[in-house]
Amino acid sequence: MTLWFVFALMTVAAIFAVLWPLSRGSSAQAGGSEAVVYKDQLAEIDRDVAAGLIGSSEAEAARVEIGRRLLAAADGERTLPARANLGLRRASAIVALVGLPIAAVTFYLALGSPRLGDFPLASRTRMADVSQPLENMVAQVEAHLEKNPTDGRGWTVLAPVLARLGRFDDAVRAYRNVIQHAGDSAERRSDLGEALVTSAGGVVTAEAKAEFERAVAQNADDPRASYFLGLAAEQDGRKADAAAIWRAMLSKAPADAPWRPLIETALARVGGAPVAPALSDDAMAAARDMNEADRGTMVRGMVDRLAARLKQDGSDVEGWLRLVRAYIVMGERDKATNARIEARQAVAGDAERLRKLNEGLKNLGLDG
Amino acid sequence: MIAEAGHYALVLALALALIQSTVPMLGARWGDPALMNVARSTALAQLLFVAASFTALVMLHVASDFSVVNVFENSHSMKPLLYKITGVWGNHEGSMLLWVAILALFGGLVAAFGNNLPLSLRAHVLAVQGWIAAAFYLFILLTSNPFLRIASPPIEGRDLNPVLQDIGLAVHPPMLYLGYVGFSISFSFAIAALIEGRIDAAWARWVRPWTLVAWIFLTLGIAMGSYWAYYELGWGGWWFWDPVENASLMPWLAGTALLHSAVVMEKRNALKVWTILLSILAFSLSLLGTFLVRSGVLTSVHAFATDPSRGVFILLILCLFIGGSLTLYAWRAPALKQGGLFAPVSREGALVLNNLFLTSACATVFIGTLYPLALEVLTGDKISVGAPFFNLTFGPLFVPLLVAMPFAPLLAWKRGDLLGAAQRLTAAGIAALVAIAVLFAWTHGGATLAPLAIGLAIFVIGGALSDLAERTALFRVPFATAMARARGLPRATWGTAFAHAGIGVALIGIVCETTWNSEYIGTMKPRDIASVAGYQLKLDDITQRQGPNFREMIAQFTVSHDGETLEVMTPSKRNFTTRDSSTTEAALLTRGASQLYVSLGDTNAEGAIAVRIYHKPLVLLIWWGPVLMAFGGLLSLSDRRLRVGAPKPAKAARALQPAE
Amino acid sequence: MTRKQRRLTMICGSLAVLAVAAALVLNAMRDSIVFFSTPTMAAEKQIPPGKRFRLGGLVQPGSLVRGDNLAVNFSIADGSATLPVAYKGMLPDLFREGQGVVAEGALDASGVFKADTVLAKHDETYMPRDVADALKKQGHWKDDYGAKPGATAASAPVQGTAK
Repeated sequence: MTLWFVFALMTVAAIFAVLWPLSRGSSAQAGGSEAVVYKDQLAEIDRDVAAGLIGSSEAEAARVEIGRRLLAAADGERTLPARANLGLRRASAIVALVGLPIAAVTFYLALGSPRLGDFPLASRTRMADVSQPLENMVAQVEAHLEKNPTDGRGWTVLAPVLARLGRFDDAVRAYRNVIQHAGDSAERRSDLGEALVTSAGGVVTAEAKAEFERAVAQNADDPRASYFLGLAAEQDGRKADAAAIWRAMLSKAPADAPWRPLIETALARVGGAPVAPALSDDAMAAARDMNEADRGTMVRGMVDRLAARLKQDGSDVEGWLRLVRAYIVMGERDKATNARIEARQAVAGDAERLRKLNEGLKNLGLDG
Repeated sequence: MIAEAGHYALVLALALALIQSTVPMLGARWGDPALMNVARSTALAQLLFVAASFTALVMLHVASDFSVVNVFENSHSMKPLLYKITGVWGNHEGSMLLWVAILALFGGLVAAFGNNLPLSLRAHVLAVQGWIAAAFYLFILLTSNPFLRIASPPIEGRDLNPVLQDIGLAVHPPMLYLGYVGFSISFSFAIAALIEGRIDAAWARWVRPWTLVAWIFLTLGIAMGSYWAYYELGWGGWWFWDPVENASLMPWLAGTALLHSAVVMEKRNALKVWTILLSILAFSLSLLGTFLVRSGVLTSVHAFATDPSRGVFILLILCLFIGGSLTLYAWRAPALKQGGLFAPVSREGALVLNNLFLTSACATVFIGTLYPLALEVLTGDKISVGAPFFNLTFGPLFVPLLVAMPFAPLLAWKRGDLLGAAQRLTAAGIAALVAIAVLFAWTHGGATLAPLAIGLAIFVIGGALSDLAERTALFRVPFATAMARARGLPRATWGTAFAHAGIGVALIGIVCETTWNSEYIGTMKPRDIASVAGYQLKLDDITQRQGPNFREMIAQFTVSHDGETLEVMTPSKRNFTTRDSSTTEAALLTRGASQLYVSLGDTNAEGAIAVRIYHKPLVLLIWWGPVLMAFGGLLSLSDRRLRVGAPKPAKAARALQPAE
Repeated sequence: MTRKQRRLTMICGSLAVLAVAAALVLNAMRDSIVFFSTPTMAAEKQIPPGKRFRLGGLVQPGSLVRGDNLAVNFSIADGSATLPVAYKGMLPDLFREGQGVVAEGALDASGVFKADTVLAKHDETYMPRDVADALKKQGHWKDDYGAKPGATAASAPVQGTAK
């Protein structure tokens, strides 16, 4: 409603601008005239003569010339009597009163969106929107949690966002708070464990392992916890244990479990089961068997996380190489080239790392 | 609400422009002062609405309202506030809105301060402004509407081109627009004169301040654009003969010619028809400039709008205004009365010469810029006309112009004394010859043209000084008398001297930079040392830094000269994540008017970095010259005789007398 | 001098200046104009070595090789033909593999294009017009290069990846 009121005010102002001079009638003051300019020019000549800038004979000639123009101008002006044309004035007034608003509103309605309100950033950040990757939204939630540290729901929302932003240490802290304030569950323990693993660069630390063990204790079928426990075994060099854990998972898993391919590849890696030979990058290969949407999300998420982490700390040569390889596999050569340039800039200060980076890049066929 | 109110204000401005373009014309036709005065109030109201509309767009950008397509496409919530604001005109739609806002501003100024104009002339001028404004409002609303909305607003905007995130670029388009659009006033005056069929010396005096304002802004705008290209594009060039640059140079040349021919018209009532033509040309070339930049018809390092449908609309506007005005000119101009007589050797003659060379130079730039387009339309061949073409045509035409320039102010009106003028320029001539001789001796075996060109520049500057010395009778009368006379000189005379000297100063800079510029291009590792023109630059370190929306690689150079450490220079390279692109931030070290210029390239496999180092002697003079010219223009503008509203001259003159 | 004579002087003077300007333009046109072509056009026209022209196309992905001291070799492709390019100097910020580029220079005896200037596209959606036209003609143009998202689309930024 306010909008239409503002529109009405503006329209009235516009109409007024046209009607006002019309209402003033023929008493309106006449404008300036040429004669004024010529008189000024004559005065100027006097000043120049007084200042000694021009000689008196030149001044005289100039005065004669300007005098002639002055006369001509005076003649010209007398031929222009002012007269009121009431018909035209009335027509103009009608155009302003009727035509102007109709034209303006018609034109506006054809182009504008009067029903759409404003969406400034400030009001939008108040809307709950988990997909919003904005630091300021996170900051807002964090500020809220600072005041209400026992708000379990707040921590539940914040933790995955922090993980997505690459702030893994904060994510670990947030997941701990989730468990503390929103209650313990297998899934939450797995979340915490996964965050610990990511913050350790993919290594299942003793701390993480303890969390996964707690998760399994609560729910023996939690697939994520089982998978990571297997991974822990593999990383410890106990391949047989790893294979046993994963094989047990597969035997219990429903046939359509989305994580099945991932486990199968992992199993193949430790030489446990007759599944198709895995490619070098297990996750990539697993992704290949998923459906299009899942694969996209999974790969994209992994790569984005890696890129975000490297942006924070660029000294991880292995990480850079993995990122470049991921981009190449995904067919985004542009991004791969960019990542290469960024990587070089990031490790330029360290000769040993640079050498390693260059060797790695050469192996990827992306040197130069 | 803000977006829609801004949108509606723009529509109302269109409606008012349509009324402004018709009612006052009818009023002038029937001699009704009330109808003629409609022009004034509608022009002011139009200014109000466009200003409201522009303010609305600025507010939307500041508030990052991504429900507006224009904001979504050209802004980003993380962008610094300054660039959120300048981003308003960093894009096509916003810049067109700025264009009409400036147009309305000039219209409003004529309405507010045009009291000294005859009523019918003012009505006609504002009506013509109304036509231009209406055409551009339609263009904006129909093809480049900045207020279009998205029903479900996106989360984040798409950022501004990082190259455009720079304060130099933020300021120079508005300057250029003030220049371009300023010429619309002289255009409107010219059309009004053609419609009324009456034109005389007073017309020139009314037009001159407007032309001068436009010219000052255009001069500054071009200089700023050139300086921006110099430090931002990272390879130290300051003029590329790029079509976009040419597009701003052409109206400048025509506008400069117009300024000079308007003087002749004001003083001697001559060259009337020619002045009208120049007014039309200057604005037509400004429109063309807008067209060239906005339609993307030309390959250009500046182009950031590519949409053919807009191009067709602008082409229509161009045809309408340029074609229409030239037709009107062909029809009405022969009816205009001829003016005063003058001998070929006279102030008038010299100004005609100036006009001839300026318009010829303008024509060569025009041909060089548009010939490739024409050829492509006709034969399909794609060619590019680069710097060599312009150096070969523009240069030779400017030399005689500069040689003749010092003579003109010394010649008398009607019939001048060339010999006398030459005698009074003896000192300037001798200074020029000495400069040439010294430079030849100093650079022996070097370029032959450069010392000659510098001699010419010295002659131009000396000529401007001689003119002042002559008028104040310095060295002939006691010093105190000369000072008194100097104070008594019209400010326009001072303005002329400054503007002419500015050309000479810029010329020195151009010649020095192009001739004695030295450079080092190569790869450097930390602790490497490069020497350029007696300076040693040691690369200390390469570091990384995270900026607000970019990552930056900074190289630190210690500069020393003759073993004495001067300063640390830190050029950098920025990577913008949203746009996936990078910019080069050059580092500049200013020593007097000379500069050392360092910019970075990519890092190679060994961790070495590509570096360009230039030493550019006296390069700053290239921009000090135009600043001096603009200052001259400003002095001229402040001259009492040209002041826009100057009422009751006789009284004012007496009041001002003691101050002089 | 009479009025007629004065006018005659003026007209003659103007014509002289214009004639000089025209002569300068014609002279400069002969020497300093360069044609634009794509690798395909260059092959068709059999441009002789040493003749300057502008070569436009996409930088062939994987062809960029950096040598010593800023020497660079890459290939410019337009879909049906490629041409090797040698350049020494710093490449513009926006130079990328797979992106549009215009190089100015001449072919040498061995058929390598020796460039002395390399211009890259100016921003995300802008591409040198010559290149865009040439690619469009040959059907290698993806419309989303210059695409503006519609009022409803909140699509992700368009990536300029061409085949």
